[in-house]
Amino acid sequence: MNTMKKIFNSFALLALVTFAHAQVERGNLLIKNGTVLTVTKGTFENTDVLVKDGKISQIGKNIAVPAGVKIIDATGQFVMPGIIDAHSHAGLDAINEATSPVTAEVFTGDVLNPFQVTLYRALGGGVTTIHAMHGSANAIGGQCETIKLRYGVKDGDGLRMEGAPRTIKFALGENPTRVHGGGSSIVPRTRMGVEFVIRESFSKAKEYMEAWDKYNKAKTQKGFRGTPPAYNLRLETLAEILKGNIIIHCHSYRADEINMLLNVCKDFGVKRLVFQHVNEGFKVAPELAKFGAMASVFADWWAYKFEVYYSTAYNAAILTRNGVVTSINSDDAELMRHLYHEAAKTQKYGNLSDDEALALITLNPAKQLGIDSRVGSLEVGKEADIAIFNSHPLSSYTVPMITVVDGVVRFDREKDADDVRLYVDPTQAVDIATIQGGEQEDHCMDGAEDAFGKLFGLN
Amino acid sequence: MKSIYLKHLFTAMVLVLGLGMPTLLRAQEERTLGPVSGTYAITNVTVIQAPGRKLDMGTVVIKNGIITAVGKGIAVPPEAIVIKGDSLFVYAGFIDGLSRTGVIKPKEETKEKVKDPGNPPPDRAGITPQNDVRNSLSPADKTVEDLRALGFTTAQVVPYGGMLPGNAAVVSLGGKSADEMVLASKTALYSEFTTADRIYPATVLGVMAKYRELYRQAAQAKSYESLYASNRAGLERPSPDRILEAFYPVIDKREPVLFKAEKILDVQRAITLQTDLGFSLIAANVKEGWDVLPKIKSGNVKVFLSLDLPDEKKEEKKDDKKDVKKEEKAKPDPEKDKLEKRKAEFVTLYAAQPTAFQKAGVPFGFSTLTAKTKDIPANLRRMIKEGLTEDQALAALTTNAAQILGMSDRLGSIDNGKIANLVITRKSYFDEKAQVRYVFVDGVAYKYDAKEVKKTDGKKIDVSGTWSYSTETPQGANTGKLKLKKQGDNYTGTITSQYADKEVELKTVSLDNNQLTFSYSLQVEGSTINVETAVTVEADTFEGSVTAGQYGNFPTKGTKDPNR
Repeated sequence: MNTMKKIFNSFALLALVTFAHAQVERGNLLIKNGTVLTVTKGTFENTDVLVKDGKISQIGKNIAVPAGVKIIDATGQFVMPGIIDAHSHAGLDAINEATSPVTAEVFTGDVLNPFQVTLYRALGGGVTTIHAMHGSANAIGGQCETIKLRYGVKDGDGLRMEGAPRTIKFALGENPTRVHGGGSSIVPRTRMGVEFVIRESFSKAKEYMEAWDKYNKAKTQKGFRGTPPAYNLRLETLAEILKGNIIIHCHSYRADEINMLLNVCKDFGVKRLVFQHVNEGFKVAPELAKFGAMASVFADWWAYKFEVYYSTAYNAAILTRNGVVTSINSDDAELMRHLYHEAAKTQKYGNLSDDEALALITLNPAKQLGIDSRVGSLEVGKEADIAIFNSHPLSSYTVPMITVVDGVVRFDREKDADDVRLYVDPTQAVDIATIQGGEQEDHCMDGAEDAFGKLFGLN
Repeated sequence: MKSIYLKHLFTAMVLVLGLGMPTLLRAQEERTLGPVSGTYAITNVTVIQAPGRKLDMGTVVIKNGIITAVGKGIAVPPEAIVIKGDSLFVYAGFIDGLSRTGVIKPKEETKEKVKDPGNPPPDRAGITPQNDVRNSLSPADKTVEDLRALGFTTAQVVPYGGMLPGNAAVVSLGGKSADEMVLASKTALYSEFTTADRIYPATVLGVMAKYRELYRQAAQAKSYESLYASNRAGLERPSPDRILEAFYPVIDKREPVLFKAEKILDVQRAITLQTDLGFSLIAANVKEGWDVLPKIKSGNVKVFLSLDLPDEKKEEKKDDKKDVKKEEKAKPDPEKDKLEKRKAEFVTLYAAQPTAFQKAGVPFGFSTLTAKTKDIPANLRRMIKEGLTEDQALAALTTNAAQILGMSDRLGSIDNGKIANLVITRKSYFDEKAQVRYVFVDGVAYKYDAKEVKKTDGKKIDVSGTWSYSTETPQGANTGKLKLKKQGDNYTGTITSQYADKEVELKTVSLDNNQLTFSYSLQVEGSTINVETAVTVEADTFEGSVTAGQYGNFPTKGTKDPNR
């Protein structure tokens, strides 16, 4: 084995050791006598769910109480899979490395902040897993991390959903053109420029990959002498997209640019593709379905800038009926707390069934993040991420009561403390919080807006 | 006209002074006599050779910068200058694990806008690992004198900069030139999570990625260079790169990475990089490390804990004259009380951090990087109050720090053959009333006069009135008026400054015997600078120092204007 390979292998090994390092707390529970909404296998009344070592071990009636297991009486309550938000920026210390149109090498998993109270508030809305994404300032933004809301851990590693596939943020349209073309007078200034940036990046990554393959192959020949290609973390990451090891999650609104990215991906053989926001997805639903691309949308949020005027509340239903795996996301700390309401809107606008509507915030986002074999429905063998509501979660009157992650109760409305901060800043003056937090906008462009002094648009 | 005239006059003055000064100084230097001998004997002294090794009524002999004898009944060499140590304590000089003591801050220059913020030149991005702190050292910097006066004789110092400012060095807090200060160079590759201003890396996201990329590129370049060195024929010439070369000793583990990691998330991120890349890590100026102890332990991370502590909540002074206001304040506010209580709990956790490390069996030193010099002894006492023993505190200041720096053969204890770095105090150093009387750095003595605690006899000195002060700053003297008014037992006041266009209200004023301290804020170029002044008042004059936020420490003098 040559030295370079040794070096990189030792990096890989060390990385594995890190993941093994973080110990996840897993609980045992018996949730008694609730209405169990499995999402995939139907709804069962007066049914128990048994959790062993963080996983669902049994769903059935009158399960005998194993010794020493905590019991939650869910009589009259509704038990559903924990809600999954496929688009969030919570739990992060930085969102946009907005200095370059391509920053594939950066990774939100490096800047996890387990102390944000937002994570606890999301638990209070039944959310158990979120996709903590890079922002939309760059055509190719950073890699994102899928995290579980194990609020209470004091180490970012403790939030990671270990083993979840790698994902990366792309962005089309007004944001990257405004930040880079408008802000720094560099490509991309137009939608054409965005396409060019992505194609150029993929082409460079392809060359890089081929150069390394060629070098590694040549090296096996006896007596080989040569120079290795220069290591480049950005191209390494982009090459992993081409190899199918990273799922693209692309911020997009308009049908034309959605089509554009489908074509780019076809040209480069990239198959794992999820569109985010996709307000005009209803126009290209068959094309999305044919490609196998998925869509993560807002229920009814639009008109916050020019490219988001052509929108409809029927978007999720139209996409679903066309066979596109669709989810509803929040992109916002406040909206994240009532995604069940957002899902319910598809019953008014599009007549989706209960299971279809619930899948929008459970199984489908799980599919988009590549974690549907582990979470997203209540099935034996899946991880025990569970939300318990006092009435049907799609009812306007429902209240989330208990949220469980890996079999551990992380939110209990009965025991909801006034001050849940894990760390207190000893230098900060004590102020009494007010109700209006001024959190009226999403965070896709955090770090990009103030950095470039351009404050004429959101998302 | 008048202003032009003044300007000319000013220029003339600068010319005269600027050209005249060095000659004057040189002349003075020649006249300064050195000590008559390089040999000292401290006799009859309580020698704390190292934590737990106490010698009553002992003698310490040093010669030309080296400790040559320690013990009881040791013959005093005839050439020795004798310091009678009756009732004094002597300790090994203290070691600071991370600071910029004696490091000159580069002048802020207005720089050209970077055209492509995604590809800035490395120095603009804060990537200057090839820098060496030795190039910006000055033994005459006031910070050297200030830290030395507390008993510190040695510090690991680092350059200013961004994410990779350069190489650290371990220096003596004395000497006449930069090189004379240096005990060991390239002791660590200094790193921070500092971002660049609107250019890559503008966020921690970018810093983490860039760090990984540079390190791996360096590993690749290094391996190719050794391949090339072993047989050059037919191979492309490696292109030298000073930035990547700076990582080579780190990759070989001949040099550790010294990461400024104050907050808990900084410590975790430094450990993430260590785990990914495999370097030896020293986490420094750690303020919130107690919850990362298991990782610190398993990662074999070395630690310098910060001597900077958050302020304790001061008991509000009762003022009988403000009865009305007092009643208003007395309204119960349970929510606020709870929040204050949690805040106080956290303040305590910070002070208890060394105890937590001690209990976990993780050895640590201390660093002064962000600590206010004058608070350091009190902060040590706060740490001791939270469970640290005096021996443990001393170990952190001496033996442990020497161990972490790999310099135990020369530093950290009073033993034969070690460098003559000593602190001599009246009373134990950790006693509230302790006074540093002598500090020896590399065998050179610095004497401190006993601070006279004036007996007040019920009569307190009165500082009210108007004072003219002058503060020496790198930008020249800053002069102004300080007005103090007495109200009951307390003072209030205002100050004028060349950095403010009108009088500024003092935020705090306190007088403890003849020690006057006051603080105020200045608005300079849109940012707030907290200025703290501490002076000793002697009759109608005062002398002391001013701390202006992060800009540093400057000497100040004042005289009282005659009463009109």
